[in-house]
Amino acid sequence: MEYAIETFSLTKIFSDWWGRTKVYAVDNLDLQIRPNEVFGLLGPNGSGKTTTLKMLLGLLHPTKGKALLLGGEGSDPKINCRIGFLPEESYLYRYLNARETLDFYGRLFGLPPKVRKMRIEALLDMVGLKAVANRAVGTFSKGMARRIGLAQALINDPDLLILDEPTTGLDPIGTRQIKDLVLKLAERGKTILLCSHLLADVEDVCDRIAILYGGKIQTQGHVRELLQQTNKRQITTDAISDTAVEKIKQIVHDENAECEVTSPMDKLETFFIRTVTAAQQLAQPTSGAVSTTKLGDFLTQHEAVESILDKLVSAPISKQASGEIPATEKVAAAESASPKADEQLLSKLTSSVAPSESKAVTREEKIKTEPVESQTRRQEQVREDILDKLIGGSKDKTEKPQAGDSGDA
Amino acid sequence: MRSIWAVAINTIKQALRIKVAVVFTILLAVLLPVLGITTTGDETLKGRLQTFVSYALSLMSFLLCLLTIIVSIYSVTSDIEQRQIYTVITKPIRRFQFIMGKLLGVIALNVILLVLFSAVIYTITIYMPKFIKASDDELIEANNEFFTARASLTVPEVDVTKEVTDRYTELDRKGELPANVSREEIKSQLTKQAQLAKRAAGVGHVLLWEFNNVKPLAKSLFIRFKYDVSVTPPDSQVWGRWFAGDYQFFKYGTQSKTPIYDEVHKNSVRDFHEIEIPAEVVPEHGHLAVAFMNVSSLNSVAIIFPPDGLEVLYKADSFTSNFIRAVLLVLCRLIFLACLGVLAASFLSFPVAILFCFVIFFTASFSGFVLESFSFLSKDIGAVYSYSIKWLIQLLPQFDKFNPTKFLVPARLISWSLLAKCAVFMVCIKAFLVLIFSLIIFSYREIAKITV
Repeated sequence: MEYAIETFSLTKIFSDWWGRTKVYAVDNLDLQIRPNEVFGLLGPNGSGKTTTLKMLLGLLHPTKGKALLLGGEGSDPKINCRIGFLPEESYLYRYLNARETLDFYGRLFGLPPKVRKMRIEALLDMVGLKAVANRAVGTFSKGMARRIGLAQALINDPDLLILDEPTTGLDPIGTRQIKDLVLKLAERGKTILLCSHLLADVEDVCDRIAILYGGKIQTQGHVRELLQQTNKRQITTDAISDTAVEKIKQIVHDENAECEVTSPMDKLETFFIRTVTAAQQLAQPTSGAVSTTKLGDFLTQHEAVESILDKLVSAPISKQASGEIPATEKVAAAESASPKADEQLLSKLTSSVAPSESKAVTREEKIKTEPVESQTRRQEQVREDILDKLIGGSKDKTEKPQAGDSGDA
Repeated sequence: MRSIWAVAINTIKQALRIKVAVVFTILLAVLLPVLGITTTGDETLKGRLQTFVSYALSLMSFLLCLLTIIVSIYSVTSDIEQRQIYTVITKPIRRFQFIMGKLLGVIALNVILLVLFSAVIYTITIYMPKFIKASDDELIEANNEFFTARASLTVPEVDVTKEVTDRYTELDRKGELPANVSREEIKSQLTKQAQLAKRAAGVGHVLLWEFNNVKPLAKSLFIRFKYDVSVTPPDSQVWGRWFAGDYQFFKYGTQSKTPIYDEVHKNSVRDFHEIEIPAEVVPEHGHLAVAFMNVSSLNSVAIIFPPDGLEVLYKADSFTSNFIRAVLLVLCRLIFLACLGVLAASFLSFPVAILFCFVIFFTASFSGFVLESFSFLSKDIGAVYSYSIKWLIQLLPQFDKFNPTKFLVPARLISWSLLAKCAVFMVCIKAFLVLIFSLIIFSYREIAKITV
């Protein structure tokens, strides 16, 4: 089986001027990411996540080992055609406006003018920047720049999407959108490598995760397997009478177990999105990014565009895309849908889009073999302290973007 | 190719929108007309024109050189330092294509600005006679000595090796060789003496020069000369009787079909002067003789012509086409600088790269002087010099040798062969080598910064 991303004892040593070893930024990293997988690379600041990505993409030369992307080198243009990359910050040409920016990247892919134009408009629509498309990118807030960065990564309809901290600087709706987009793309058969220390984001979308520390993988595995508390059960019901609750308590008591009854809280994210959506429906003016419901439009319109143009333009990208879409959709349709907790909200938000299935469940069934048995065994002891550190380290980061971004919306 | 072009367009947009190009453009747009009005030269029309073209062309060339250096370096280093290159280089574009795109953008920008401003300079120059309402005399002078492109025929240094050897042997035989002086030094002294004798006309003596393939386009040709004298006369002026005509007539006394020019002129010493000769004196076969006579009744001193002291000038092309070639010379220079800027930017940060390029630029502007001083200083370490520094210095482009104002001011012809020579040496060899270096460096360097 060919992996979408595979590294062979990838090592990066940063030396000082005299060539003396200073830091092992990445230390003998063996990473295997399967096609059509959403993989999360986690780790505290300076754990080697970004360095790994840079080596994958050929921006840094590995000191030792090598990395293969889609079966080739990351610096090979043929491979680059099928990759979308969003760096840790959206490094954009400040003097170009949003539309020109996307046009520039589209030209680099040699997209024919018609396709380029359609994709640009669809992407601008999707990231909610259509209204400000003619403003210089340099005047954008961080969150808006992030949206353009994301659009830029998607302009070639990539098979492999590498996202470095995709949600930093985005408002909660933008964050939610990116998460939905990731799921949606996974559904279309794309592979996604996500680098983040915002644990909530990773938890929501990733099939598998690896936690890096000191340039080494400390643990990796399926998110559900790693997080499920097998010694506890949770029951969610509609509003039932107190007597019914008492009965349940009695049953639980008979099983010699403890039981706690509360009303479930809305997540703050859900509440926030509901409030902003209400304001948007009243058409209150904003100079910032508009949160659209057009998430899926890019993808659906995309397919239509491609099927027409396939005949006209036999670009390699479109061939792959049109070849893979029907297959994955069949798989998705055949599998039973098991909506997640946020699913109802999502379908409300993105009314034009069919609710996305929980890919975590479906794809786990497809992929049986798991080469990380040894790591999962020691994960219990390791995980506790790493997570503590992770949360401690990333606290400021998680709060900052939201505070800074309140001006956007 | 499409990706190269995308990068090129982006580079042009960058140069325009970060206002570097705009600042330079405004500067030139203001300065050129101001120069046109304020330059007066020696108050004659020709003087005005010469001063204006010299200043305007040098200013344009200098500012565009600065612009080229700055833009070519900035557009590469800013992409690396502000990291836009992360998203560009991970697209299907090879690194050499990225550099080529940047280069193409800078050169395209240069071509646009160069065409624009040389058009401005040309227009001002052409309309200046009307603007200052010049008199007819001045117009004729300007037409003959400025609005033209004159080819120049010079006299080669006479070969005196045999004479020197004979003289040396004679001195040696007589035992009159000075002691403590090396053979080489004596020989060089003797050579100088012999050559001086060939260029000197004692009182009552005649000097004769021959020129081949003289094909004048206009009605007249010009003898340009400078006198040196053994003793400066009281009014610093000497007389000279000038002849010009069929060489066969002068040498062998055969009958000449063409008239012979014969006039006496009085000119100041140690200055360049020109005398106009009707083109009809040139025989059909183009074999022209020019003779100078130091008339004994008028002068009392020997007259010497310095090594570059005599040439025959004749119109070989129009001012317009000469001007175009002058602009192309500037373009060659800009292309080299663009390649140099890209090379510096491929491994240096912005300020260091700028410094590096400026040093090269100014050194190249005085390349003749630099080359000479190096070969003089390194006399004693000949072997080391010729195998190391010499090659590096040879890589330096010779901006001063191909300086367009040097040709336009005295209305000298910039021949196509000169332009081709400049293009081959400066662009095809030197700029190309520089470009290859930068492509190699850029292809193998790490793009990303180290961040842990």
